[in-house]
Amino acid sequence: MHIGDPKNTEDNIYVLGIESTSHTFGIGIVEYNSRKKSLKIIANEYDRYVPAKGGIHPREAALHHTRVAPQVLKKALEKAGTKITDINAIAVSLGPGLGPCLRVGASLARFLASYYKIRLVPVNHAVAHIEIGKYLFNFKDPLIIYVSGGNTLIAIQKKKKYRVLGETLDIPLGNLFDTFTREIGLSPPYVVNGKHQIDICAEWGKEFIPLPYTIKGSDLSFSGLLTAALIQAKKHINNKVELGNICLSLRETAFNMLVEVAERSLVLTRKKEVLLVGGVASNKYLREKLVIMTKMHEAKYAGTPPEYAGDNGAMIALTGFLGYVHGVYIEPEKAFIRQRWRLDEVELPWLPNQ
Amino acid sequence: MVTESINILDKGAESIIIQGELLGKKVIVKYRIKKPYRHPKFDEMFRKTRTKTEAKVLSELCMNNVNVPTPLIVDLKNSVIVMEYINGEKLSDLIDHIDMENLKTIAYKLGYQIGIMHSLNIYHGDLTLANVLINNGKVYIIDFGLAGYSRDVEEYAMDIHLMKKSLLALAPDKMDVFMEKFIKGYSESYQGNVHVVLQRVEEIRLRGRYVEERLKKKILREKYAE
Repeated sequence: MHIGDPKNTEDNIYVLGIESTSHTFGIGIVEYNSRKKSLKIIANEYDRYVPAKGGIHPREAALHHTRVAPQVLKKALEKAGTKITDINAIAVSLGPGLGPCLRVGASLARFLASYYKIRLVPVNHAVAHIEIGKYLFNFKDPLIIYVSGGNTLIAIQKKKKYRVLGETLDIPLGNLFDTFTREIGLSPPYVVNGKHQIDICAEWGKEFIPLPYTIKGSDLSFSGLLTAALIQAKKHINNKVELGNICLSLRETAFNMLVEVAERSLVLTRKKEVLLVGGVASNKYLREKLVIMTKMHEAKYAGTPPEYAGDNGAMIALTGFLGYVHGVYIEPEKAFIRQRWRLDEVELPWLPNQ
Repeated sequence: MVTESINILDKGAESIIIQGELLGKKVIVKYRIKKPYRHPKFDEMFRKTRTKTEAKVLSELCMNNVNVPTPLIVDLKNSVIVMEYINGEKLSDLIDHIDMENLKTIAYKLGYQIGIMHSLNIYHGDLTLANVLINNGKVYIIDFGLAGYSRDVEEYAMDIHLMKKSLLALAPDKMDVFMEKFIKGYSESYQGNVHVVLQRVEEIRLRGRYVEERLKKKILREKYAE
């Protein structure tokens, strides 16, 4: 990776971002107006792979991505009213994620960059989730809560990196809900009309039953909770109310764990802003809990809206823009995917050195 | 008796710390507050168990000369512990402007204390810089809400792992020096096999999500890249 001076330009800057880490193939375009010094998302197109049965099959998902990629790209360019030759930089999410899926995005990015001779900017998927949240709410230094199907972590920015204060030791929160609803036969589909199956199931229940609550410092563990909930659920698989109680208690326990860890970190760091990002950010129950918690500590709260909470190309383009103006780029032949690429490994020149 | 005027010293994540007086001595009252975002049944269960473990662990550590506040009164019904007042500063607040020599001594003393604690089969569960108080060079460990008893090395290793992570987040450039001294102190007081614990610390780190060293293919890929 190179870090150097970006080209000084008076023209508008266009960055195209490609996202394909998991179930979503997305392309987003951002426009930077050099005169007004303003950044705008001008396209955000995506197509989601929905498994017919089971969870995400990496190969099936990758096949889906290759099928939809040309269409999504075309649609994004049309929506933005730009030609591919107008683009100043291609940003691509190189990881972390599922290998076969990542390869689709990376191949397209390498092709576009080398064929049209455009700069290629590597983007860490987790960083992108955070950057779009900061951009949308104009947050400067928030406590970050990143919850999705592949990540559950609490982070802050310090000395040019995002530092992880606490994270899951085994499975992520989104994965917990997905696996649970799948194992009891409610999913797929995992999300119906913007509502996760766990929330639909929780509506059937009334009572709270104790389930394992595992916190180690600021780290979380959900696997024991999943096993315990599944054992309970299999006993009452035909009783709608009992099943509802388990869903309710599972969600309650998991969210309480997360909010408690977030609260600890908030007290520790004394941040004035709390930002919720990632796919699970669209869950209204988690949002409610966080609103109450942040109010108790007089911190501002914001969560990314559903449009930008799930994986999308716009966040990659946005982060790619930050990379581009700070001279972060990579040769196409060296743009390898990284299935494992921790958030706290990435040095980000646009973060303050404090 | 505890004085009536309320002087809130600190608002923690799960409790309010109030300063009071008991028989002419300064004390602090730790009150675990109700959390409106939790299910009421869950909340009650939660506060009770944490208060109970904390009181139990604190008294045992006190008896074994580990620097912790002495518990004086425990009220399980209201989730309150009255304990000795310690006039100290949080290490998390100090770490940015403390000189290196001082920090080394603190790290050594802290490691030593933790070693004694682990030898008693007690783990802290939330060992971070914010839970270490410094008073005149004396190192105190506080906040045992997540503590417990265990003979499992995993729990001891987790304490050290958490301390490392806390350093990495708050003072990344001082981590190596701090941990070196910490381990030195720890090795001197811990009665079990230190290497087993340290090995487990490394294992815990590798277990984390997206840790690349776990991916064996990386070696091959880097060979191609050159």
